Amino acid sequence: MNEHNEIGQAPVDQRIQELLNRSIDGDISAIEQDELDQLVATSPAVRTLNGELRAVTRLLDELPELDPPQYLQNAIERQVRLPAQNNTHLKKPGRLGGWLSANWLRTGFALAAGVVLTVSVYEMGSEPITGEDSTRMVGTMAKRDLNGQQGELLDSVRLDTDKLNGLVELRQKADLFTLDVQLNSEGPSELVVNLAGRGLEFDGVSRIQDPVDAVSVVDGAIHLASSGEQHYTVSLRRISKAQGDEPLELDFFADNELIQQAELNVSKF
Amino acid sequence: MHKDNDAALVNDCKRGDRRAMSQLVSQYQRPVFNAAYRILGNKDDAADATQTVFLKVFEHIADYDQKFKFFSWVYRITVNESLNQVKKRRAQESLDDGQASPWQGPAEALDSKRICRRVQDALMLLNDEYRSVVVLKHISGCSYQQISEILQLPEKTVKSRLYSARQLLKTTLQDDETAKPGH
Repeated sequence: MNEHNEIGQAPVDQRIQELLNRSIDGDISAIEQDELDQLVATSPAVRTLNGELRAVTRLLDELPELDPPQYLQNAIERQVRLPAQNNTHLKKPGRLGGWLSANWLRTGFALAAGVVLTVSVYEMGSEPITGEDSTRMVGTMAKRDLNGQQGELLDSVRLDTDKLNGLVELRQKADLFTLDVQLNSEGPSELVVNLAGRGLEFDGVSRIQDPVDAVSVVDGAIHLASSGEQHYTVSLRRISKAQGDEPLELDFFADNELIQQAELNVSKF
Repeated sequence: MHKDNDAALVNDCKRGDRRAMSQLVSQYQRPVFNAAYRILGNKDDAADATQTVFLKVFEHIADYDQKFKFFSWVYRITVNESLNQVKKRRAQESLDDGQASPWQGPAEALDSKRICRRVQDALMLLNDEYRSVVVLKHISGCSYQQISEILQLPEKTVKSRLYSARQLLKTTLQDDETAKPGH
């Protein structure tokens, strides 16, 4: 493969291109490097190509390393069955492992990739929940009253650990449910709300005082990542009464570690 | 790449030690996720691929042949799984959809984020064989020999693919004046 220089310089032959690449990778002898240095010094085409290849390499090397999602390690660990623990994958999985393995392992990852939804978080005012509000609610927005019309308290869970503490309350008004989340963590934390098979759908997140950093919905579970003080509400809407009585499952993570699991009853009686 | 430590952890995993499993996941989830992301160009897909990689690793841990390096095995599964996802996705949509348009605006100074995006877009234009080699070399920091072991290719082929891939990336990036290398 010869390089045709854009400014009319002579093409660089394949061996020199290879030397340039090997030099970039530090895979070149001293003698070869001397030869290449001379070529770079005397040939504008080689000099240009050398600069361009090094620039490309630098761009590649400088691509930033990304942080994996916070839930990932726990999601993996909860699905893994080691050989000595269990010879099959039919053992009853953990909550998160249940919906992950059931859907991902059995039906394949193509489907799972298609249902990942990233949701924006909106800062909301303080307006009461009304029947009209709930019917108007679509997508990512929910309305909530801080002073009175919060809906009926169905259940709650309190956390009091070193890494994560706070309170989550589940309220209901008609077909609308809200999770009022007030948490405080030293480091990054994540709340996972499993809705799968409960006849409820995610209807949005609204910030009350402190924001949630990232929200995603994967295969029927809402992942809410944040840190420090957090106060927000998660809105859920009943879409099927027949399935609506199974408790909500909540997983609380802090610093990538499962801190607490809880169930909140969606029916008071 | 912690060869000796990996071997001990793998042995512990074979005996059902979940702490060892947790340690291996902790150790490798970041490089696996990053390699998958650079092959797939999408964080959600990369997270899915990462989960699948580890499920496969531990599902077959009892069969793992320790004459191969653990990281090579993990990376091989990572590359294969990522490429599988690419194939599935290609069957559904064009890889370019929703990705190329942001970079076709007027020439202007590019901040580092946009340059990274442009480089990632250029990576996605490479064929799977070239992209895998580039990712293993420049993202995962593997040597020629390690790439050769991971992809089960002769070193000579690895080098040839890498050099050709760089050349193609150079040309692609030069096509967009705003992302010209060296700016």
